[in-house]
Amino acid sequence: MVDAARQPLIEVKTFTEVEKVEGYVGNFVVTLREKAKYVRADRCNGCGACTKACPVEIPNYFEMNLAPRKAAYIPMSQAVPLIYNIDMDACIHCYKCVEACGALEAIDFSMEDKLVEQEIGAIVVATGFSHFDPTPMTEYGYGRFPNVITAMEMERLNNSAGPTNGALIRPSDGKSPKQIAIINCVGSRDKRYNPSCSNFCCMYAIKNALLLKQMHPDTEISIYYIDIRTPSKGYEEFYDRARESGIRFIQGRPSEITEDPDTHQLFISSEDITLGKVIEREYDMVMLNQAAIPQPDQNHMSSVLNIAQSPGGWFMEYHPKLRPIDSPTDGIFFAGACQGPKDIPASVAQGSAAASRASRILHSDSWQIEPTVAVVWPDRCVSAKGQACGICARACPYGAIDYTKGLAAEVITAKCHGCGACVGECPHDSITQLHYTDAQVLAQIRTLLAVEPEKKILAFRCQWCSYGGADLAGTSHFEYSANERGLRVMCSARMDADLIYDAYRLGAGAILYSGCHPQDCHYITGQVVGAKRAARLEKIFERMQMSPGRFRVEWISAAEGDKYARVINEMQASLDAIPEDALKAEIERLRPEMAKKLTKLNEIPGVAQASVQVDFIVDEMIGKEKVA
Amino acid sequence: MSEDPITKSHAADFPQDEPRIGVYVCHCGSNIAGVIPPEEVVDFAGKLPGVVRSIDTMYACADSGQRLIKEDIAKYGLNRVVVSACSVRMHEPTFRGCVAEAGLNPFLMEMANIREQCTWAHGHDRAGALEKAKDLTAAAVAKASFLTPLNMIKVPVTKRAMVIGGGVAGINAALDLAEQNIPVTLVEKEPTIGGVMAQLNKTFPTMDCSI
Repeated sequence: MVDAARQPLIEVKTFTEVEKVEGYVGNFVVTLREKAKYVRADRCNGCGACTKACPVEIPNYFEMNLAPRKAAYIPMSQAVPLIYNIDMDACIHCYKCVEACGALEAIDFSMEDKLVEQEIGAIVVATGFSHFDPTPMTEYGYGRFPNVITAMEMERLNNSAGPTNGALIRPSDGKSPKQIAIINCVGSRDKRYNPSCSNFCCMYAIKNALLLKQMHPDTEISIYYIDIRTPSKGYEEFYDRARESGIRFIQGRPSEITEDPDTHQLFISSEDITLGKVIEREYDMVMLNQAAIPQPDQNHMSSVLNIAQSPGGWFMEYHPKLRPIDSPTDGIFFAGACQGPKDIPASVAQGSAAASRASRILHSDSWQIEPTVAVVWPDRCVSAKGQACGICARACPYGAIDYTKGLAAEVITAKCHGCGACVGECPHDSITQLHYTDAQVLAQIRTLLAVEPEKKILAFRCQWCSYGGADLAGTSHFEYSANERGLRVMCSARMDADLIYDAYRLGAGAILYSGCHPQDCHYITGQVVGAKRAARLEKIFERMQMSPGRFRVEWISAAEGDKYARVINEMQASLDAIPEDALKAEIERLRPEMAKKLTKLNEIPGVAQASVQVDFIVDEMIGKEKVA
Repeated sequence: MSEDPITKSHAADFPQDEPRIGVYVCHCGSNIAGVIPPEEVVDFAGKLPGVVRSIDTMYACADSGQRLIKEDIAKYGLNRVVVSACSVRMHEPTFRGCVAEAGLNPFLMEMANIREQCTWAHGHDRAGALEKAKDLTAAAVAKASFLTPLNMIKVPVTKRAMVIGGGVAGINAALDLAEQNIPVTLVEKEPTIGGVMAQLNKTFPTMDCSI
């Protein structure tokens, strides 16, 4: 901690939040909110006179609310930087602190939050984790029984710098507990709360048990566990040490804690799997080893940074094996538990790994980004002909389109992230996206639907989420109908209505329109554009009396392989429910209606030329069927 | 701002050259070949218009597979390459690099995902998987026919990092960056850095103080 403050190249900004992140790799502009401390950093010498003078006492969150702090405070005596804060929510404006500060004049009640912008080349996200609050688990009585405490409360109680100066006492009567139980997996590996394992709590329980035992050798400690997980170097040996030192390990998840209301003694009912029977034991104090959960503002940070979350709410990495440190956004990296629960050595290692990933960029003079940007055909843009439009500029999540009535819209390449929202929205097909041109995507659609199109489920997926979800379905071997034919564009915003109409015109049995969940969008609001269009299409197809299930809209993250497989299988079932003749008749009935919407398709540059070549490919594919 | 190497009208244009496509169907050991016979996809793709070379390979991503592609680009005068193998999330950079080494623009390579999104998902339906692998390969061939060469966009880099969160991971990342002479802004929402670690008593395995 002190090293970081001493390093001249590190600017430590505490009591500061990230408000906005704009830009792209190498060129981010981050807006920070420096919250008012009401103490001037350039004047405060950390003497603490203000705290002594302050008459207000409120619970100190840093001490897990086991001790008070003043309204003029630092959370702990080793705070870095050592600059005091005035908690304006608690302050009664008596100004005793100002008096105590005297000639230093460090306290300044006129301070306000300050927004500052910084230009940044690469970002490491290390926002950490939070702890599960066991109050909802009424069976354990946390909050009702004073001697049931959480692991973090134990940390402070047992800490020489803590509220009791390290004296272990039980909250109900201040006596030293002789029988202590630790319950593992509180809120983790529990389908009611968090199904996943919190990674470090087994070791954490053992550490606390050993520390207690060392400091209070006459204390008896029992750890209730489901499994003990000690996979890393030296962990199993540590577990052995705990067993040899007399700590009792009971395999079984306690079903209930009851309390004697007079003595506040606690009774844990649990199965002991090794004994094969239900047991009840009495304790003076119980520590609940809480689950690690994402930060309460993880959703907010996720949308500020435009990065997705895995199920469970942790930030999702680009690739779970090959790029575990990278976010899906180039130039943003993860360190520590924000990406998933991690113990200290793993967090430190990931900090170094993230620094190393970031320094690849920061040590380069320039960085390369994908050229899959949008491009306007100026002669097709109606604005150039004097018509008011600007739809493209409104759809763009990045303000990357210059729209002036009377001039052709222009894409500012450096700002364009290549989502294709403008391309999908332009009603005059005046914009295309490099590497995902209409000619290219239509060619894919036509070949995928060349043979028996009515049996096919054409799946449009975005690159970042749904395509990843389909990949995960495969890597997990979640089987789904082989009639699915997948197609990839960068974002659901690129899924132009024309592409969907053309697929139905060609006789597609069913179409899946899929992308990310709104909060996960790689392109800020690309999904919103895609979702609005999908809703319009749903209405249009409903009016056309298309059979239900033939057009389906689903938001599937890269972590939802099971969902991808389920959706495709459900679509197959809907398709199977339509009698073959009825389906064919419906396709024929709707074909002219779809064609009516596509009269200008061949005017899009490249589309008519491409269709000549695609005809040859399709002929060959159909020929293959004939021979077979 | 950035340099803009995209000659816009050119890049969006319809390609003028006659496609000469090479198709490489990967066995991926038994990951693909255990479900479908890659040779059948090879025979099918070989007949598609524009395809001048179609062949299977045990591991397209391995040195031998990449060498085959590079040699073929010269030998058959290929101007487009289709790799029917795994996910683009896995190996698109690999094959883009491979064709670039042989002098082909990296954006003239297209992949068909016949592993994650085919053989691994349809192990129960081998006939269906084979038909799907053919269609996905044909779609990649069709798209490849109309690919145009593109250049990566070069952008400048601001030499400053931001670390969001001053816990043990963030502090360590900031120190590592600073020690490499990179200026760092370390942002922490609480009034002190330290995170959860600072609240802990002694920690495993050294059992010393956490601060």
